[in-house]
Amino acid sequence: MRILLVEDEADLAATLRKTLVESGFSVDVTADGEEAIWQAEGTAYDVIVLDLMIPIVDGWEVLKRIRARGDRSPVLVLTARDATIDKVRALDAGADDYLTKPFTLDELLARIRALIRRAAVSPAPVIRLADVEIETSARRVTRAGAKVDLAPKEYALLEFLALHRGTLVTRTVLYEHIYDDRDDTMSNLVDVYVSTLRRKLGHGLIRTCRGSGYIIDAP
Amino acid sequence: MPRDLSRMVTWSLRAKLLAWYSLVLVAVLATFAALAVWAVWQSGLRDFDSRLTATASVLGRAINLDSTGRYEVNLTGPDLAKFTGSDEGPYYAVWTSAGLLIDRSDPLVDPTSPRAPQVRSRGGNREVIVAGNQGALVLVGDSLGQFRSDLWRVILGFGAAAGIALALALGGGWFLVGRALAPVERIGATAEAMSESNLGLRIDVARTEDELGRVATSLNRAFDRLQAAFERQTRFTADASHELRTPLASLMAELDWALARPRASDEYRSSLAVCLRAAQRMRGVVEGLLTLARAEAGAIEPHRAPVNLASIVEDAASGVGSIAAEHGVTIHIETVPAIVDGDSNRLRELISNLLINAVQHSVAGGTVTCSISTLGPTTCVVVSDTGSGIGSGDLPHIFERFYRANKVRSRASGGAGLGLAISKWIAESHGGHIHCESREGQGARFTVELPALEARATGAPGHAGSQLSSDPTDAAVPTAGRA
Repeated sequence: MRILLVEDEADLAATLRKTLVESGFSVDVTADGEEAIWQAEGTAYDVIVLDLMIPIVDGWEVLKRIRARGDRSPVLVLTARDATIDKVRALDAGADDYLTKPFTLDELLARIRALIRRAAVSPAPVIRLADVEIETSARRVTRAGAKVDLAPKEYALLEFLALHRGTLVTRTVLYEHIYDDRDDTMSNLVDVYVSTLRRKLGHGLIRTCRGSGYIIDAP
Repeated sequence: MPRDLSRMVTWSLRAKLLAWYSLVLVAVLATFAALAVWAVWQSGLRDFDSRLTATASVLGRAINLDSTGRYEVNLTGPDLAKFTGSDEGPYYAVWTSAGLLIDRSDPLVDPTSPRAPQVRSRGGNREVIVAGNQGALVLVGDSLGQFRSDLWRVILGFGAAAGIALALALGGGWFLVGRALAPVERIGATAEAMSESNLGLRIDVARTEDELGRVATSLNRAFDRLQAAFERQTRFTADASHELRTPLASLMAELDWALARPRASDEYRSSLAVCLRAAQRMRGVVEGLLTLARAEAGAIEPHRAPVNLASIVEDAASGVGSIAAEHGVTIHIETVPAIVDGDSNRLRELISNLLINAVQHSVAGGTVTCSISTLGPTTCVVVSDTGSGIGSGDLPHIFERFYRANKVRSRASGGAGLGLAISKWIAESHGGHIHCESREGQGARFTVELPALEARATGAPGHAGSQLSSDPTDAAVPTAGRA
């Protein structure tokens, strides 16, 4: 899952970045509104975490502009502005959630997961696919009741395919959602992860659509 | 119950106005009626008297002495008929010049001679006594009963008319006073309905162009000022809260992250550095707010002493040196000795704030110039930079607390936004003032004007300051992170 973090407070941005990366997200960070709009145009982020008081273009304007463009990425506003009018303005401008500073990291992560679930096929926090069970909140995968150990990127790939089950996901899209700007790995690694996942979870789960991508069939 | 109170006040005002109004009206009506009745009485009585006098004259002319020397009254025809016929009506009596009763039409007439012609009222009757032929005295009288009862009818008529007029006037007055006071009611209702969440309400002045309309307009203007003050306060609170929450969020998130699981020691070290920076920022905001709050409350007594601005500028510049180096900005100083009466700590804070502000708004390679000049009774310190400048829309607001002129500027480079507000206060508390000229993209130029104590009074130029600078502990004032 790829997240765009728009935060001009350098220390907080760094803290959030390392927290999100530890939680298995791919994170891009920008410090101003103009760059945020530009970034969001180039990539389909799974969640955008947006501060309101940011330089050049403020958060409300960023929301308006990306929504006007038809961007459907869930946006979580993370700001020190706690007045009702600010919340109303942000939600009306197209935000999906609003969290005021100071906050706990657990709450932020839970809200991000909730936004990702809601944007997916079904909002259930536990996804069951035949004998495979994915607990998205704990990032835990079991097969026939037994815990399966997955590397962070393997999990990210599985979760993305599972959340978009029933739809064809191209390699480009997969690559976009599990890597951030800092990664410079080759896209054929996606194929390597898929084969590892098949070995660990059974070969019937992830189907290859030759030449274009992968699909997990809806149960 | 303020609402009931206002209604009661309006009510009693209406009643009071009406009471005074009716009192005046009653007095006017009563005076008018009294004068009218008096006039009617007077003219009626005059008519009555002249009628009696005419009759008495006829009677007087009818008196003759007969051949025996006796008086005789020769009344004929209609003249006689006046005195006969009924008990009502005029009566008469005639006396000789010696006072002897000759004749009377009614035995009830007082037989005593009145002795001289006169007009008199006696027991409900009016009597006219005139001199007749042969020195006789003739009295003609008549009862005033009919006249009195006519007069009573007039009085009753007046009373009834006055009563009706009073009732109409009171009713109309009640209505008119109510109408006149309706705007007061409306003003009260509007003021009552105004609350913290509803400060935008205004009194409708479209229909009131009289005195109350002016009152309403004045009140509306007062409401405008109140609303502006309230909004300023709200914005200030929101800004202060924002400036404190931002570093607090950073602090808490970093601690949250560090404590989530065991970390390597260099990770802990970098976390603590983040926490320290957050805490320093919070200290900056809290100290700035405290300074301004105490300044506003007048709780800060400046320690005034003659100080040399040149040495203060040099101190401040060396204090800001490291920040300037970080930004790649050169600070250039042009000083002449200038002595002002001031608090050296505060003045250094003022110059430091301006220098830090200038450095933070400059691009790498830029120059910040700080110069001192004395013009007559005024000493000027000018801090100018070659940075991004301030837009004309922002210029009037830059000395407001928490106002961030340059939205382009990342917060990473700035403080809490209190530095210029504090600088303004320091300049003004020294009897001077501060202003800024700038154009977007062409740098900014801050000028502080202070009253000069003595210009170039002592020593050689460039050295006078070193002896006059205040005690050396001044140098320890922390200025970084404050602007």
